Amino acid sequence: MGILEWAISPLGQNVPIHIAWFLIWVAVIAGMAFLVVHAVYMRYFAGEKEFAGGATPAQAAQLPKRVPRHSLAARLFHWIMAAAMFTLLFTAFLPRVGVQFDWVTYHWIAGVVLTLSILFHIVHATFYMDFWSIWPDRADLEDARRRVQRFLGRTAALPRKFAKYPLENKLYHGAILLTGLAVVVTGVCMMWRVRTLFFPRNPYLFSDLTWGLMYVLHGLAGVSLITLVIVHVYFAVRPEKLPITASMIVGSMSREFYVQEHDPQRWVVEPVLDPEQGMADGD
Amino acid sequence: MAVIRDIMPAFQLLQPGTVADAQKLLAQHDADAWIMAGGMDSFDWLKDRIKRPKVLVDLSGIEELRGIRATADGVEIGAMTRLSEVVGHPLIKEKYGLLAQAAELVASPQIRNQGTLGGNVSQDARCWYYRAGWPCYRAGGNICYADTPVGRNREHAILHAERCVAVNPSDTAPALIALDAKFVVQTPKGRQVMDAEHYFVGPEIDITRMNILRPGFLLMAIQIPSTWAGAQFYFEKMRDRNVWDFPLLNVASAMKLSRSNIQDIRIAVNAAAARPLRLKAVEDAVRGRECSPATGEAAGKLAVQGAVPLQFNAYKIPLMRNLVKRAIGGVQEAAWAS
Amino acid sequence: MPSPKSEMQKFGAKYKLIGKDYPTPDLYAKVTGKSKYAEDFRVDGMLFCKLLLSPVPHGRVKHLDLSKALAMPGVKAILTQDDLPAPADSVTDLGVTIKANTQGEKALTMEPLYQGEPILAVAAVDEWTAAEAIEKIDIEFEHLPFALDPLETLRPRGPNPRVEGNVWVEEENSPPRVGVLKWKEEDFAPAKYGQLPMGKPQEEWSYGDLDAGFKNAALVLDETFVTPDTSHQTLEPRTALAYWQNGKVFLHMGTQSTVQTLAGLGRWLNMDRSQIVLISEYTGGGFGSKATGYIFAIIPALLAKKANAPVMMRISREEEHFIGRARPGFQGRIKAGFAKDGRITAVDMYAIGNNGPYDEAGDVGASGEIVSLLYQPPAMRWRGVTVLTNTPPRGPQSAPGGMQGIVMMEPILAKAARQLSLDHVAIHRINSPEGKAEWGPASNGKRAHATSAFLKEAFDRGAEQFRWKERVAQPKRSGSKVRGVGVSSSCFFAGSVGYDGLFVIRPDGRIAIQSGIGNLGTESLSDVHRVVAEVLGVPWEKCDVIWGNTSKNLPWTCVSGGSQTTHAMTRAAHAAAMDGKQKLQEIAAKTFGGTPEQYEVGNEKVFRKGGGRSLTLAQAAQRAIQLGGKYDGHEPPPDVNKYTKTSIAALAGQGLVAAAKDKYPHDGQSFSYVASFAEVEVDLETGKYFLTDYLAVADVGTVIHPKALSGQVLGRSILGMGHAMGQKWVFDPQYGHTISRRFYHTKPPTILDVPTGMQWAALDIPDPETPVGARGIGEPPVGGGCGAVLNALSDALGDEVFRRAPVNLDTILTSLEAGRPMQEPLTAFI
Repeated sequence: MGILEWAISPLGQNVPIHIAWFLIWVAVIAGMAFLVVHAVYMRYFAGEKEFAGGATPAQAAQLPKRVPRHSLAARLFHWIMAAAMFTLLFTAFLPRVGVQFDWVTYHWIAGVVLTLSILFHIVHATFYMDFWSIWPDRADLEDARRRVQRFLGRTAALPRKFAKYPLENKLYHGAILLTGLAVVVTGVCMMWRVRTLFFPRNPYLFSDLTWGLMYVLHGLAGVSLITLVIVHVYFAVRPEKLPITASMIVGSMSREFYVQEHDPQRWVVEPVLDPEQGMADGD
Repeated sequence: MAVIRDIMPAFQLLQPGTVADAQKLLAQHDADAWIMAGGMDSFDWLKDRIKRPKVLVDLSGIEELRGIRATADGVEIGAMTRLSEVVGHPLIKEKYGLLAQAAELVASPQIRNQGTLGGNVSQDARCWYYRAGWPCYRAGGNICYADTPVGRNREHAILHAERCVAVNPSDTAPALIALDAKFVVQTPKGRQVMDAEHYFVGPEIDITRMNILRPGFLLMAIQIPSTWAGAQFYFEKMRDRNVWDFPLLNVASAMKLSRSNIQDIRIAVNAAAARPLRLKAVEDAVRGRECSPATGEAAGKLAVQGAVPLQFNAYKIPLMRNLVKRAIGGVQEAAWAS
Repeated sequence: MPSPKSEMQKFGAKYKLIGKDYPTPDLYAKVTGKSKYAEDFRVDGMLFCKLLLSPVPHGRVKHLDLSKALAMPGVKAILTQDDLPAPADSVTDLGVTIKANTQGEKALTMEPLYQGEPILAVAAVDEWTAAEAIEKIDIEFEHLPFALDPLETLRPRGPNPRVEGNVWVEEENSPPRVGVLKWKEEDFAPAKYGQLPMGKPQEEWSYGDLDAGFKNAALVLDETFVTPDTSHQTLEPRTALAYWQNGKVFLHMGTQSTVQTLAGLGRWLNMDRSQIVLISEYTGGGFGSKATGYIFAIIPALLAKKANAPVMMRISREEEHFIGRARPGFQGRIKAGFAKDGRITAVDMYAIGNNGPYDEAGDVGASGEIVSLLYQPPAMRWRGVTVLTNTPPRGPQSAPGGMQGIVMMEPILAKAARQLSLDHVAIHRINSPEGKAEWGPASNGKRAHATSAFLKEAFDRGAEQFRWKERVAQPKRSGSKVRGVGVSSSCFFAGSVGYDGLFVIRPDGRIAIQSGIGNLGTESLSDVHRVVAEVLGVPWEKCDVIWGNTSKNLPWTCVSGGSQTTHAMTRAAHAAAMDGKQKLQEIAAKTFGGTPEQYEVGNEKVFRKGGGRSLTLAQAAQRAIQLGGKYDGHEPPPDVNKYTKTSIAALAGQGLVAAAKDKYPHDGQSFSYVASFAEVEVDLETGKYFLTDYLAVADVGTVIHPKALSGQVLGRSILGMGHAMGQKWVFDPQYGHTISRRFYHTKPPTILDVPTGMQWAALDIPDPETPVGARGIGEPPVGGGCGAVLNALSDALGDEVFRRAPVNLDTILTSLEAGRPMQEPLTAFI
């Protein structure tokens, strides 16, 4: 069974037309499998988290009671994107697995919302946020190495606490960024294939083969997103990550959680005069 | 691999004699089976080697699927009843003449002698791109070749197009909708009886099928209730040639009048969209109003609201407007003799 | 209005057989299904072949792997371009060598020039295996630019349909070659307004003072008109069966001509004609597409040689669409001036013909010639371009070019009549040719002329029978319906000269008439030989017509096409009959004494005038064998064709052999003429129209066989009506594919699309330039069938509805809605 569906074009060429739909189930199973493996690992194999360094009590005392983490704009973006993403995934894949409904319009509208929100995010993250905070740095890689060595029972220095985002989070963002860009770019082109409000339908913008590859890429990225979303949701509801999840709703996390997980040198939070009050500006 | 058309590939031919046997075979072969009624659509697909079933289940030997029976509340027509039998049946002619008129305008005498009522309502789209074996949406692909800046789409849809712009070509389907017929479908889970309009599926729901039939399903019979028996009927089919042609558009209506007022009405058109359309808004708008040219005029305008023309099918909008108008307001026949 | 009752027409008052109906010799077999067409034959060990057709409109095979197909059990041979003989030169009847055109059409090609062109053929034990084998062939194409619409390739940077260009270039003493013709960008300015751009033509001619003609005109019209490309849609597709015996190839195929098909087969196979036996007793229609056979017949012949077994090639209806020929669609424009009385003062005509990729169809040239004859403009300029495109090859179809010219001209005549407030019949009548009417351009200062023309009489007769005046006076509009009446002139070439007649009076008293005419359904096969029986005074029942097999000693015969047979072969039959009569008289004189002039032939005898001794035909035949020499064929007439001489030699000694070449004088070119009348009823709410009445009055000279004539006059009128009412080709411009590939997609008219009470009439005025007086009729009615319907439509709907044919309800409805013509004015294939 191939992972692509092929067709013979009017000119007699074999062209891919989309992914084989069994990949939907592969993606779901992969997501679930990760979930199970990770849960088992956490339950039976993972040791206590050990960090080197971190905030001194004096530093901690100067921190606000609630450490600001996500600005309102960032949170709005996240949830709008999440809503669009869920809409896109459900409208794309439910009809493929037998739940039939009029999906195309919802799909492209959600796609437009996603595209606009991503455009906003790119501008916002580039100019108004700490752009580099989401990209892995040397320390992340070194700590990852240390963690693996220690897990394997070898001697290695203790990993440091995290910057604003743990490495996993950064890697996840990277994966989402790649798949997201792939679906968005292909998806925007595919809007020429259907009737929308924006431009006259023109399915002949590209050659049969280019279109075929575009559908394949859209499909592959789409099913990858199934797995990624399952993993994301899984982490969001894991008990030890709930403060992070909550911060995506309320915008901040507790001082205690911050101190416990993050390295103030790597994620600098402005001290406040009265830590019991208020909250520093978020980024 | 090279493509060749117009010569039928090999398949296993199964000819059950009973519905039970047919169901067994369909269950056994599931998606590998192709159901053939009169063959007027099937042979086209088969000899072009586009649809390549492993197994062909030919229903022509099943006597119980054939025949026109009067029932307590109307009439039941077996799905395998030939169109020419429908046309000539006294009960159909007398009480459900709308169906007889529609069936008589299907294709040509030879095709009506071979084609069945079940086959006529279940036939696939006739879009020439789709039928050429091009990998369009309807064929499982990701493009509509008819709705492009250069697509030749004179016979395509003006309403409810969703990626695919093919139309349903059945002449009997709108008549059955107007007669409020029920379709009896045998599914692997049991028998379903549904309103005629619910038998058909648009591309927004399923772009690869024209009706609700899935592997293992069998259209058994069509029941017409007596509700509309002897009502005032109107059927008109527009086509390029006067025989052996699919509709460019057709309209079917059944109307009950109380004096000159429209007491109740059902009206449907086909070849305007991928499924026959019951014009419910028109029905609601004219119910209770006087049956007059003015009412027809208004109905026609209402009927085409939301219609979107393609490059070569804009004529379908005035055509549909006028056919609906005539169905309700009547035709001004010429006064001359010939 | 009820259809007029056609009077019972009586023909041939002075003849016993001519002008009378009779059971034709093929009738019984046809109505009982016993007639065998190519596909009905079966030979021991016969294989079947299937074709691989090109999926690209223009390309090259860049990869071909046959191994999987050849490895299949049951696959016997695969034929490709490499197996074809080189294109051969041909030698005309006059001994002139025509160099082979190396850029012409081949039976198979690795460089397809249209989607559907045959690439290769697989022979296998059955068709199923051959088809499976084709699906196992690994083939890839290099894609090349393609052009469907002539105007597209004429643009300065337009794609060329062939690597070498887009038109044929004629050169002295060498075969034509493909060259490039591009127009300037500014030439295309009129296209914006829906008028035909008119760049540099390929050919042009003119006569008379065009400028003065327009200057003196009371009305000048300048109209663009587009005509459809229409498949011939013969009932029998191009099926053929071939086998080899002792070095000879035997070919069963449906072709229009019998004798004349040999030349083509010989050229395509690069073989001497004497090594080819053609069997074609029944042909399911040709309409020009099978005039002298078709090149694809050599596929089974060459496969049979390669596989060493008989091969049957059955052509499917879809394959027939691609290889079965079609009429070239025209994009044309005519500027015409009219005097107040409707007389044409000048015509300036431009025709662009869509030729497909191969050998040039003559339509564009013929269109100008026919317009010059049929409407007799005192001044005319004609310009034309035949453009190559990547669409299936065109070929002559009933009135090739003439029909398109008439269809361009007729709407203008009707519009002029409306604008000048003239009667439509009157404007046709006043412009009709008469007597030795001139036609075409001048050559050496002199224009050619027709043998005769009685079209005015045909209009007079038709107007009366159709009750034209009454119909015109009737109300036009009633309810949602509007009625229109239209009339059209029509004509086409209708005869050639110089062929041979041949028959044998056998010792049993029967007459064996050798017929080299094809049995294409027109009945000319036997009709023309009624002349032999008429001249000799022999009952038709005593005549046996031998036909349909080139091994049966047939005479040199004209092509069964171009409406020439009835004319050419009644002349040849007459000549042979006169030879037979002369020989009978001479034999009688030799037997009983006296001079031949003292003897008379009649009542199956040759007898002394005024009574006395006589010989029966049987006795005369026996005497002829005794006498030998010229009487029994041992000495053939010196002037008959060498092909006839071979046949005479084979027949020698079998009886009295009568043979002669037609050397009768013939002043002018023969044409036949038709006046057509039509009535339509249009529903303004749907655009749908019905053709409610039709009448065609034919000027065909002497009527030979009324039933067959009626079939031709009305049948070919219907062929023309198809062009008005819906027949066309549609292509997808993105992929260059035919999408109207199914028979029903191309919408040929059905019997329910024409009036039930269609009428015909024939003037039965003998042509003065031929002994029997008969001219051909196959093609002349076609233009009239189309023109009369179009003119009836514009009578009903006005001039602002259509500017191209066919006219369907969509055109009518959208134009009526908008109040102006709404169809794309110039684009081909919509």
